[in-house]
Amino acid sequence: MVNKHVNAIVVGAGAGGGIVAKELSVAGLSVVLFERGGWATYDDSDTDELRSQRTTVLGNGYGPDDLHYKRVVVNNDGTTTTVLPSEGSYNNIAACVGSGTVSYGAMAWRFMQEDFKLKTTYGSIEGSTLEDWPLTYEDLESCYEKAEWEIGVAGDATQNPFGAPRKKPYPMPPFSHNREAKLMVDAAKRLGYHPFPIPMLRNSIPYHGRPACIRMRTCCGFACPVNAKCGTHNTVIPIAIGSGNCELRINSVVSEILVNDQGKITGVTYFDEKNNKQNQTADLVVISASATETARLLLNSKSKFFPKGIGNENDWVGRNLQGHAYTGAYGIFEEEVYDDFGPGASVAISDFNHHNPGIMGGGVLCNEFIRMPYLFTGVRPPGAARWGKEHKTFQRLNFKRVAQAVGPYQEIPKFESRVEVDPTVKDFRGIPVVRLSGTRHEKDIEGCRFMSEKAELWLKEAGAVHTWQSVGGGKGISGGQHQAGTCRMGNDPKTSVTDKYGRIHAVPNLFVADGSLNVSNGGFNPVLTIMALGFRVGGYIAGEWLKGNRFK
Amino acid sequence: MDKPTKLTRRRFIALSVLSAGGTCLLSRCANQALSPWRFITVGESNLLDALVEQIIPTDDWPGGRDAGVTNFIDRQLAGAYSRYQETYRKGLLAIQETCTAKFHKRFEEFSFEEQTQFLKIMEGGKMEGRQWGDGFDRYFFRLIRDHSMQGFYGSPRHGGNKDNISYKMMKLDYPVIIGQNRYILKSDGK
Amino acid sequence: MIMTRISKFTLLTISAILIVGTVAFSSFYNYWNTASPDKTCSSCHEIGQSVTSQAKSVHRNLKCKECHGTAWSNGLHSFEEKGMMVVNHLKNKRSENIKMSDEQLLEVLNNCRRCHTTEYAMWTSGGHSVDYQHIFLNLKHNSTEQINFDCLRCHGMFYQGTVRDLVEPLNIKGPWKLKDGKLAALPAIPCMACHQIHQDGTPQTRPDYSNPKTTFYLRGSAVSKVYFYDRHEKTEYPVADLPRLNLCEGERKVKVSDDPIMRNCIQCHAPNAQHQAGTGDDKTPRGVHEGLSCMACHLPHSNNSRNSCVSCHPAISNCNIDVTKMNTSYADSKSPNNIHIVSCNDCHKVIKQRKVPTIRN
Repeated sequence: MVNKHVNAIVVGAGAGGGIVAKELSVAGLSVVLFERGGWATYDDSDTDELRSQRTTVLGNGYGPDDLHYKRVVVNNDGTTTTVLPSEGSYNNIAACVGSGTVSYGAMAWRFMQEDFKLKTTYGSIEGSTLEDWPLTYEDLESCYEKAEWEIGVAGDATQNPFGAPRKKPYPMPPFSHNREAKLMVDAAKRLGYHPFPIPMLRNSIPYHGRPACIRMRTCCGFACPVNAKCGTHNTVIPIAIGSGNCELRINSVVSEILVNDQGKITGVTYFDEKNNKQNQTADLVVISASATETARLLLNSKSKFFPKGIGNENDWVGRNLQGHAYTGAYGIFEEEVYDDFGPGASVAISDFNHHNPGIMGGGVLCNEFIRMPYLFTGVRPPGAARWGKEHKTFQRLNFKRVAQAVGPYQEIPKFESRVEVDPTVKDFRGIPVVRLSGTRHEKDIEGCRFMSEKAELWLKEAGAVHTWQSVGGGKGISGGQHQAGTCRMGNDPKTSVTDKYGRIHAVPNLFVADGSLNVSNGGFNPVLTIMALGFRVGGYIAGEWLKGNRFK
Repeated sequence: MDKPTKLTRRRFIALSVLSAGGTCLLSRCANQALSPWRFITVGESNLLDALVEQIIPTDDWPGGRDAGVTNFIDRQLAGAYSRYQETYRKGLLAIQETCTAKFHKRFEEFSFEEQTQFLKIMEGGKMEGRQWGDGFDRYFFRLIRDHSMQGFYGSPRHGGNKDNISYKMMKLDYPVIIGQNRYILKSDGK
Repeated sequence: MIMTRISKFTLLTISAILIVGTVAFSSFYNYWNTASPDKTCSSCHEIGQSVTSQAKSVHRNLKCKECHGTAWSNGLHSFEEKGMMVVNHLKNKRSENIKMSDEQLLEVLNNCRRCHTTEYAMWTSGGHSVDYQHIFLNLKHNSTEQINFDCLRCHGMFYQGTVRDLVEPLNIKGPWKLKDGKLAALPAIPCMACHQIHQDGTPQTRPDYSNPKTTFYLRGSAVSKVYFYDRHEKTEYPVADLPRLNLCEGERKVKVSDDPIMRNCIQCHAPNAQHQAGTGDDKTPRGVHEGLSCMACHLPHSNNSRNSCVSCHPAISNCNIDVTKMNTSYADSKSPNNIHIVSCNDCHKVIKQRKVPTIRN
């Protein structure tokens, strides 16, 4: 059976793809939205810590599964290891409708104006591909606003003096603080910092027909039992499907982009639910499969016209892979600071995102999401027992007395940190798997140390009697759930993969819309920026289409 | 009714074969002494009991053994952790071999303190002997430690954390007490 | 001629096989239904634990089939299911935490009813016998609050699918329908929501009248009869194992009864995550009734009031207030004498203003 030709294919129903599918389908384009996973539901792994998105030891509650998928990681000594999706070094992103937006902590950050101009602000850095974005904050502002209102964000921007200028407030009021956050708000004020409630993609009041948050402890890393967390799975994707123009094909994996004998992109090859290989043709294709999988798909699409993979003439696809170096400090308090009022993180300071002496960038600092008991077994001061009686006593006495201030340090992009496809290892369908290699920039650790010191100071002021730093930015590959950068946007085709609308240079009808586009990854969780880029790319395509442009 | 209830010939034959097979099998089962374990042997379970009790010892609260951590590990080895089967078989044997070769005793026959000392050497990567080469001592220790923590502190549905014991120890309500947000029903709030 | 002989022979052989087979099977079947569980059901070790717990339970004198029925009584699918167990067994696939399906559970419920007629009747008359359609197709509710996964924590806790499989559409616009219409009239909170049939205990026996201790002092409490079924863990928790509620009214700590049975009620009639009194589904008594257990006023099963207000607050008392004329309902948000939160001076305002001679020593 031949699939009916459609106007657009979107690969990946996550933060970026879900939005593009909605933008295109409501504009009247016929769309097929591919998702390699299925619909994730709360009941699949509910409050089970060992299968949560944060602690995947017994498997990924939100996919992909260990039986069918694997990746190759190049170690620092040059040897390679094959890793499974439930292992940390796989650098997994959830495989389900909505992807990470089903189980994320849901912080909704706009990047700052400086984040789009890192090279202008900080100059060139040796060993780094640091660059300005081909667009400014102002270019993306209206898209951020759409993301905040269409997906739904609760917050109060007036309390953050460092936030980038905005035209509209958040659609929902901010969340109240738990006991720990209240202590940290007061402490931050005493230190002269500027604490404010973290903007969250979570309903603080009923919004868009879904209820308000019930404040579960199992939130970050878990699906929402009451559907109060706002992702693409419960906002834009249902709208796309409801438009009648979008068909969602779940459990379908796109393996290659189709190129005809004139070198034109004509659609994709995919494996359907029953694992049969099929073709789907379209006028245009948008890839939003995450920084690792988008690069893999482009690199796996080799033909005589694209011998090194599509968009890879200059060997830039898969380059500049970056995530975030999480860095901060822990503090033990005399009194219990844990009051079981989820999800935990609610206060932030943006005082150290930029203009810090001697370091590039910086990052936001927040109190941390609730750590469930197993995760807490790894939270110990230096020198403390890692097992045995002392370890158990610490767990019993301090679980409710430990607070953490932590944040994502904006990493310095490196050309050598990259996604390739492995020459020999294939997944169960015979598609070459992702191969990850590279290390963080050596200067990252300086920025991390700086932030950790500030975090420790903050906790001490809040009343912690014993504190210690957990400094991120060490060796190793960075990617994880914040993975970005592998199909960088730019004006110069020699040093970037796409143009400023996410279109692959020199390929008129192939777009990228996910974190791969990020030239740099901000000192913030990147999801709202990925959503904004989804609105930008999707909005651009829809606008052009309505003007009659068929991207030929 | 969406469940098929018609007794087709094929179904009848299948069921007959199943019941016949079942009868033979059940009689065989009944004569067998059944191990409570899925992957590990009874001998290995005694050793694992001692190991998980070292990682999470009994104090005022039950330890790893009584919380069913051995059961957790065995169950995962037959499931999510089947990739570690060989490592466990090899590692548990290596521990017993080291103990019997040097001291003519099994690991679980040592005093609690002696067992702790043994594991500290393992953790530090200072075990002697061919079977511990290539950092296997540290690697296997870490594996047992991590899996024990998962069994003790993870959800009881996986076979450990019996009676939510670790949650109770940490004063964490389980099942959690949270009601729904209540909005004024439309007809009331005119 | 030869043909007939062959067919005669074949016919005879087939009937012989059939007769022998039927006899063998019926004798086996008969044996299966009468022999002790460890020779039959429990010889398959997957359900060994259930058999062991049943042998120590209050229901120990019952045979498995009296509640669970036989392979035939539950229809063909259960026979097929047992067959699949054998196949899994042969394939060395181990089943963990074997639980009854929602269908089987309701079949058992019908057997509970055979002995516990009074309890069943009371349950039927109370709110907890509500069926799926009245919970999940309530127009007023559904147009205000979106149905979600967590609904199944307290209603339809044994339903094997997710809320996505149960109701459509999942929005506040409707119109809603149950995907499987069969469920409509089935109970959403069956006996097993609060009872573990295999729970430890001894069957009730006539007391030993020669020893007054057995007749009076050693009476057991009803506590052990209540368990909470947790859908997440697919486990029944004895109420004594459930967390106590720390309830607050603003900063003030509300006194909550220590009655373990109340911990079961609280699991569903729960306040919000900050445990503020009166939020969410909290009905914990405050005011003059603070510290009372739910069970102090409510009957089990029907949840009716045990007594009328008047049995504690008789109108013939000196205050001359007639409690029977008050609106004490909690269901009415404007009720001035809401029984769950009423305080002394909500009723005794007049008396407070009256000058009462004080007696001092």
